[in-house]
Amino acid sequence: MIRFLIVVALLLLLGVGAYFYLNRTDVSDGTAPQVVGAPPSADVLARGEYLAKAADCTACHTLPGSAKAFAGGVPFKLPFGTIYSSNITADEATGIGSWSDDDFVRAVREGVRKDGKHLYPAFPYTSYTQLSRSDVLAIKAYLFSLPKAPQANKANDLSFPYNQRWAMGFWNAAFFKSQRFTPDPSQSPQWNSGKYLTIALGHCAECHTPRNLGFGLEHGNELAGEELQGWRAYNITSDPTHGIGAWSDSDIASYLTTGHADGRGSASGPMAEAVENSLRFLNSADAAALVTYLRTVPAHEGKDPITIDTEAAPVMASNQAAQGGDSANADNVGLHLFEGACASCHQWNGKGQQTPYASLLGTRGVNDVRGTNVTQILLHGSSLHAEGPNIFMPGFGDAYSNTEIAALTNYVIGHFGNKQGAVTPDDVAQRRKQL
Amino acid sequence: MLSLSVNGQSYPVDVPDDMPLLWVLRDVIGLTGTKFGCGIAQCGACTVHVDGQAVRSCVLPVGSLGNKAITTIEAVGNTPSGQKIQQAWLDVDVVQCGYCQSGQIMSAAALLQRTPNPNDADIDAAMSGNICRCGTYVRIRAAIKQAATGRPELLQTIVSAPEGASS
Repeated sequence: MIRFLIVVALLLLLGVGAYFYLNRTDVSDGTAPQVVGAPPSADVLARGEYLAKAADCTACHTLPGSAKAFAGGVPFKLPFGTIYSSNITADEATGIGSWSDDDFVRAVREGVRKDGKHLYPAFPYTSYTQLSRSDVLAIKAYLFSLPKAPQANKANDLSFPYNQRWAMGFWNAAFFKSQRFTPDPSQSPQWNSGKYLTIALGHCAECHTPRNLGFGLEHGNELAGEELQGWRAYNITSDPTHGIGAWSDSDIASYLTTGHADGRGSASGPMAEAVENSLRFLNSADAAALVTYLRTVPAHEGKDPITIDTEAAPVMASNQAAQGGDSANADNVGLHLFEGACASCHQWNGKGQQTPYASLLGTRGVNDVRGTNVTQILLHGSSLHAEGPNIFMPGFGDAYSNTEIAALTNYVIGHFGNKQGAVTPDDVAQRRKQL
Repeated sequence: MLSLSVNGQSYPVDVPDDMPLLWVLRDVIGLTGTKFGCGIAQCGACTVHVDGQAVRSCVLPVGSLGNKAITTIEAVGNTPSGQKIQQAWLDVDVVQCGYCQSGQIMSAAALLQRTPNPNDADIDAAMSGNICRCGTYVRIRAAIKQAATGRPELLQTIVSAPEGASS
């Protein structure tokens, strides 16, 4: 019996040891590679503003349309419940006005808030852990220079056991490594800068890297694509077929900073928000650095790989005003819906009119046989406020039934992607609940 | 300051680049024949031609137009296909309340311009984006065919007063 207790005690000790070993904190301040838009010589508030935009704090901490910047309350619907972002204005009572520099740095880089409780990794401390202390504090200085917005945080609505914050300690032990950015001396300064912008500040991996069963990032599969909150974040590895290896540098830079690249696609959903709130503010040198890094991300096929038909036969048989190559039977519901509601902007030849953002040929959405993002855009519409005129498509979720949306999605996939779409009315019903 | 070419005339307009063409036409230039319907390119009432193509002016930012030729309902009758369409519209008496009709005529004229002899499928493809709440669709289809062939479709409207009627 005593021997048994000793074994149990030893195992416990080992477990506790492992817990603390795996949760050890990188105590170094860290040094950031150059970020051209936020040079060390610049005023700290200007640096902080640029970095806060590059880190896209707004997307999660400001309710769209709200005048209260960074007051939180944005809902995130996850498979295990809804969580709300917090108030990160300098208001003492409801925001983070009472937080010290150390408190803020610990929250951003270790995912532990001022009261010692764990944050959920919906907040991307898993990426921000790579940021330098100086960059994090510049962001804090910027946030604290803005108007305080008294607005109490909303309580999360998570089911057991996900509502147990302490349990995140074990998640961290398994999936999180506290670690500052380490430059690769064999690569150019521009590449290192691009990696910092992609992985640390831009936290692109949080949406674009596949997740394992425990919701941790699959680091061996970096940026190979994932589905999150009902939207597909596409494969952005250098894979020429399934990723963006075939895109030119200017395609990628244009997509990132304007939300559109001719013949490649237009950002919508969460990516439109990323362009609108963050990426379009990168200066051209930083955008070019980001492109340089993305170019070198190892090619991976990813889950449900998409193969693009840039010369889809039905599109080639159509002109801007009339379709060819599809069956125009009266029972082709998708075609008739497209004819009435979509063709005047998107056109049968996929080129789009009114705006190049409406072009469909060659985009990944219409080549994805599961139709994930096409369905989302049809249901909820799309909007993008970047440089130039606002880009807008109305949602049709209230106008069309699940059967109609499924038929229309499959028609769009068939006509513009030359593939058999696999979207069912049940899929549409599921996607209606998201976002 | 932008310069727009509308109905063969050049209009200098001082408007933001992202103002939709429809606003410029109606409120700045004063051509009110083009109508506002839905504002989201779903009803077709605002249809005009840009270089002969039917476009929805309510979602078309003027900044992107350059000096492309814009034609509105006020001048479409000067084009061969527009002239034929408008005559057929009168002969068949398509119009009920009329609100959507400038858009209908613009779409039909663009169709006839590129497809001189449209069949039913061509008409569906070109006209499905133009909504008419009075339900004039049957007459629209007939008028397009009549404009194309010159042969009477449906009962023709009596355009001159019948014999013996006092005017």
